[in-house]
Amino acid sequence: MKIVAVTACPTGIAHTYMAAEQLEKTAKSLGHQIKVETQGAMGIENELSENEIRQAQVAIFAIDIEIEKRERFKQLKIIQVPVQEAIKNPVSVFTRIQG
Amino acid sequence: MPHDICNPVEFNFICPLPNGLHARPASQLAEFANGFISDLSLTNSRNGITANLKSTLAVISADVREGDECSVLIRGSDEESAKKAIREYIARNLPNSDESLVGRASESAKGILPRALMSSKAQCRFGLAVSPGIGKGKAVVVSRMRLPQNIDEGAENPQKEERRIERALAALRDRIKSMLSRSMSPAEAGVLKAHLAIVEDVAFKDRIEELITGGRSAGQALVESGQFFTSLLQGSESEYIRDRAVDIQEICVRLLEEIYGDEFSTSAVELTEPSILVSETLAPQQLLGLDRQWLQGLVLEYAGTTSHAVILARSLGIPTVVGVKDAPVVIPQGQELVVDANRGFIFPNGTAAVLRFYERERRLLERRQLILTRNMRAPACTKDGRSLEVAANVSSRKEVASALANGAEGIGLFRTEMLFMGRDHAPSEEEQFAIYRDAACAAAPYSVIIRTIDIGGDKPIPHLNLPDESNPYLGYRGMRIYAEHRELFRTQLRAILRASAFGRIQIMAPMVSTLEEVLWLKSQIATLRDELRNQDISFDPATRIGIMIEVPSVAFILDQVCSEIDFFSIGTNDLSQYFLAVDRDNAKVAELSSVRHPSFLRFLKHIADGVHRNGKWVGMCGEMASDVRNLPILIALGLDEISAASSQVPILKETISRLSAQASEQLLSRLMACTKVEDVDAILESTHGDEAVQPLLDANLIAVESESRSKEEAIRELIDLLYVAGRTENPDRLEEVVWLREAVYSTGLGYGFAIPHCRSDAVKQNSVALLKLSNAIDWGSQDDKPVRTVILLAVRESDPNNGHMQVLAKLARKLMNEQFRDGLIRLENALDISEFLSRALEIPQQLKSTSTVGSGT
Repeated sequence: MKIVAVTACPTGIAHTYMAAEQLEKTAKSLGHQIKVETQGAMGIENELSENEIRQAQVAIFAIDIEIEKRERFKQLKIIQVPVQEAIKNPVSVFTRIQG
Repeated sequence: MPHDICNPVEFNFICPLPNGLHARPASQLAEFANGFISDLSLTNSRNGITANLKSTLAVISADVREGDECSVLIRGSDEESAKKAIREYIARNLPNSDESLVGRASESAKGILPRALMSSKAQCRFGLAVSPGIGKGKAVVVSRMRLPQNIDEGAENPQKEERRIERALAALRDRIKSMLSRSMSPAEAGVLKAHLAIVEDVAFKDRIEELITGGRSAGQALVESGQFFTSLLQGSESEYIRDRAVDIQEICVRLLEEIYGDEFSTSAVELTEPSILVSETLAPQQLLGLDRQWLQGLVLEYAGTTSHAVILARSLGIPTVVGVKDAPVVIPQGQELVVDANRGFIFPNGTAAVLRFYERERRLLERRQLILTRNMRAPACTKDGRSLEVAANVSSRKEVASALANGAEGIGLFRTEMLFMGRDHAPSEEEQFAIYRDAACAAAPYSVIIRTIDIGGDKPIPHLNLPDESNPYLGYRGMRIYAEHRELFRTQLRAILRASAFGRIQIMAPMVSTLEEVLWLKSQIATLRDELRNQDISFDPATRIGIMIEVPSVAFILDQVCSEIDFFSIGTNDLSQYFLAVDRDNAKVAELSSVRHPSFLRFLKHIADGVHRNGKWVGMCGEMASDVRNLPILIALGLDEISAASSQVPILKETISRLSAQASEQLLSRLMACTKVEDVDAILESTHGDEAVQPLLDANLIAVESESRSKEEAIRELIDLLYVAGRTENPDRLEEVVWLREAVYSTGLGYGFAIPHCRSDAVKQNSVALLKLSNAIDWGSQDDKPVRTVILLAVRESDPNNGHMQVLAKLARKLMNEQFRDGLIRLENALDISEFLSRALEIPQQLKSTSTVGSGT
């Protein structure tokens, strides 16, 4: 499955990246293709293109704060979880996609 | 100007003192006024109060504040000379008569209660910290010194009552004088002199005598006089003057003690163990009478931040918190107390948590002090290895030791004018010899550059009778007066040469403008050396001889002068004034006088290069050298030394160590190419970031075997690591923002790790600190496992550094990796951990080195 994701935590220096790492690692182990955009203290990194979003079947938002450019995902199914859940239990996040 | 004896002479002035004409400046002014026969009165035009200028109390009561216009009326046989002298005193000495005692107000706003103390629920009271430090001891509650309402005693005859007063005044005067004869700080002496001035005050005595004539007993007259002057002072609009009421009351109480003895004793407080004195307020002599061996702190309900008790506490280094409501009532006698006068807290119950916090803090402050002083002692050197000696300017031998304690690498300017001022004859050779010898000994192993007397112009000396001039800065001053006052100069030179046998002394002459003057100076020194040799008096024949560069002409005969002398010191205050033809005291042109004017920078470069081309040494002792902003310029000029106010030495040395000589040279070329001073200032301002960016990680930010027992203590310990490393100056604020983040959700990561973090400018450099705990502690982690490894990420809010942020992001990702975590768990040594992190995070060399500039690209 092609998945896009966005992570964003309150301070933007730690949990944003830990969640991104967990999502990438877990997707790989489950055989998914994923690209994770981080919205941290340095702004948007690894930004998702329109094309990537269009080709994806689902978006995962692991966020504790409102994100920038949410309107890009209007057409997409969105799974939103707190950042901590993506860090602590990433597999369950992906289980929710199937459900 | 002819004048009629019936028409008194008069002049006006505007009070220049920020705290107004309060006790100390007023007592000095009154003392000066007492040297004349004429009647002198001062009228404050703001409130219409007229005061006898010879009375300190009357002058204080006139409530003269900064900017008040006052007129002085003089009537009597010496009115013309009195007018000239007093006018001169007000113009020249008055503005400086309020220095050194108060210093910078160090009162701090209410601090932030550290988390460990907050969660300990220890009882805490707030106040205003006015003299920093932390004190611990038993509460000794004393009642305030109070004037009685009445002395119940009938008066005998007025002559007898007057004699009792006379005796009491004389006894108290002697007692204060004998206290003054002991060695003490300028602050203590200043306070005692102010008290002496009250005892000797004419208006005070007049008032008492008047009451006695009216039938009062000595005691009753004292009480009423005390009340009268107290209410006068308390009516002042200035807090500073209101604070002086305590002094009057103490003097009156002391006089009552003299008259009535034990019957009216306020009983001296005796301390026998570490104690915190708790009182409503404290009188200065009361404080001076306490045994400092046991006095650990002061807690006062009322005491102005400018009261003499507070000034003394600061000077004696006694931790003091004032404004603690109902302190003497609510704090029980004998209670174990902690006074945190860094933050403004009192802990009336020294609970275990409080004592533990302050014990940790004490060790922390010791560590930080050790590191600061270690760096302070090292010679100043830029980060690319160019050394620039930092010396201190002083005006007395007493200041030499404290300058060296501040890290000064010698005395770059020992001004000698002060030895000649404020007295009616010049100091003798012996007196000067002792002073210069002591200064040289105190400065060892460094040298002292003694500048021969520099008077005239802005620094008059009454006993020399120098003529009034219409343009003193271009007139008879500095070296130019030596030929006429040959005996004065000879005496000083002999004293300096003799002192050279006892340490490293260098001689420097001020205000030299021609080669002839240099040659004359040398010939005088040569003659005196011959004389000393003939008299078998020892001196150092190798003492170096130098001159100030203050007059631009010298800059164009450097080749000629360099072959005659050993060194130069640039006096930027006068040099810039002469160079740009600007009187710095004239507001209309003062802005032209910046030492950063491109033309002046080029001129300095011409001088520094010229001296070095001729193989000689050049330093700078003007104000320009005191301002850290100018350091890149001074480094680029290649000066051998700068000499500044002693208090500036640590910050100058620290800043030099963070600058690069190479970058400074490029900067100076840009500055010299500017067309206006505003451009120079703007460039200097924007390159402030030239200060090296420190690496994110450092072994000194890693602590293993931590004894922290709680989340509060662990976070504090991490922040303290940053504080000791100089990465934050505001640990309390940093702690607060870390806890603000913690409140969103716990930063406990699971697996025994926690990563508290924040973005705040309370941290000066982006930093990672790491703690390995001996005892696992609960962090509210997601997996409920206790934490053994804590990593603090502290990032600046305003100027993010992209490179650093990428490293942090990488660290965050790595923490999700079991192998990485195991690596951290396994390692038990700070250096190994630092190595491991650098390798795992592949920190690029330029981020570890100190050369990157935080540009946020």
